[in-house]
Amino acid sequence: MALGLEVILIFVGALFLTGIAVYFISVYNGLVRLRNNIKKSWGNINVLLKQRSDELPKLISSVKGYMKHERETLSVLTKARTDFLKAKTMSEKAEADGLISGALKTIFAVAENYPNLKANENFKQLQERISGLENELADRREFYNDSVNNFNIRIESFPDMFVARMMSLKPQEMFKVSDGDTKDVDVKFD
Amino acid sequence: MSEGNGFLYAVAGFFFGLFLFYRGIRAFMRKRLIENIPTSKIRSIAMGMVEIFGRVEPQTAKKILRSPMSKKDCVYYKYKVEEYRSSGKSGHWVTIDKGEKGLPFHVRDDTGVVLVDPKGASVDIPKDFHFSTGFRKKEPETLLSFIKESGIKYNFGIIFKKNMRFSEHFLAPNDRCYVMGEAADNPFVEDATGKRNADDIMIRKPESGIKYYITDKGEKEILSSLNRAVLGGLILGPLLSIGCLLIIFLYTGINI
Repeated sequence: MALGLEVILIFVGALFLTGIAVYFISVYNGLVRLRNNIKKSWGNINVLLKQRSDELPKLISSVKGYMKHERETLSVLTKARTDFLKAKTMSEKAEADGLISGALKTIFAVAENYPNLKANENFKQLQERISGLENELADRREFYNDSVNNFNIRIESFPDMFVARMMSLKPQEMFKVSDGDTKDVDVKFD
Repeated sequence: MSEGNGFLYAVAGFFFGLFLFYRGIRAFMRKRLIENIPTSKIRSIAMGMVEIFGRVEPQTAKKILRSPMSKKDCVYYKYKVEEYRSSGKSGHWVTIDKGEKGLPFHVRDDTGVVLVDPKGASVDIPKDFHFSTGFRKKEPETLLSFIKESGIKYNFGIIFKKNMRFSEHFLAPNDRCYVMGEAADNPFVEDATGKRNADDIMIRKPESGIKYYITDKGEKEILSSLNRAVLGGLILGPLLSIGCLLIIFLYTGINI
């Protein structure tokens, strides 16, 4: 083979191998980053869930004097908080989170019927704080699900799936809150 | 073109092809990074690498800059002055002055507002002002005042002007803004004293060495321009290098 052709073939081969190596490293690092994004975004949800859970006893004690007829709602909230504190897995936490969100919606809706409670400064501050946390939680759940979605698409796409298989990566679960959990708790007015 | 020049162009083309290939790889890695980070809502931004999208707002009414050439309000600007220098039959543009300045500014989306420090960022924004000198072309007043302030020698003799071009890019209030950087503690407020979560955060250059990127393009536009850079670099780069290698062999008499 002529020298020139040999050099060109070696050059093309070297570029090809460099391209493959860079691609492999990039896919590998990308998958590691995506996996860590999921862990991090779950950690970020947990921080807010914990902050909201810490505010609940204050909320319950500030409303129970006014909402004497909504004991059921308050007990649902107390139970959901206990479930959340006991929860170990993501699905258990998601379930407790949904129950808490539903009960909170009910409490804030029902509070409209209690002018004295609505005027209470402490309640107003707690409502503002908890509503703020609820909004941030909604954003972070969405962010978590986006991270999981990116990861799941990537590990099932060609040709990234080969690197994902080598790394034994499995699709991750979305943060699902069932419709039943987020429904307002039924309140019976006496 | 003489034979010697042809050989030199082929060598330069070979290395330029390799450079395009390298740029293609870099663009591919950046594209992957952008695709992997979901866009955060400012209200619920968390510490670490983030990507946000919103509109520019000055931090306060006083914390605003004036772009040097067009004298427009902005939070960041960069400019360049070039002069055409001839040598024989050919010539080239030489940068004779350039500068950049930025102030921390706010980015607002429909959920909140966060502080962004543009220091160390790669700011990718189109030209907002451009002027090339030419026969009977009248310079804007703002440009003449810039030329005077910066002491640039613009005329030679009394009548003749040098062949120059002036360009300026800036980020003005209400411009669209995409930022990919690290969300860290806001050094302008005491820890955890902010009323809202985002008050305690400032987006800045990542310590991990990942590129800090600010642009007024949307994510789709960024990804499509990176796609072009990837395809151009990874396909055209090697083709150019191989073509130039063949020419080098022709010049050196190596058999193919």
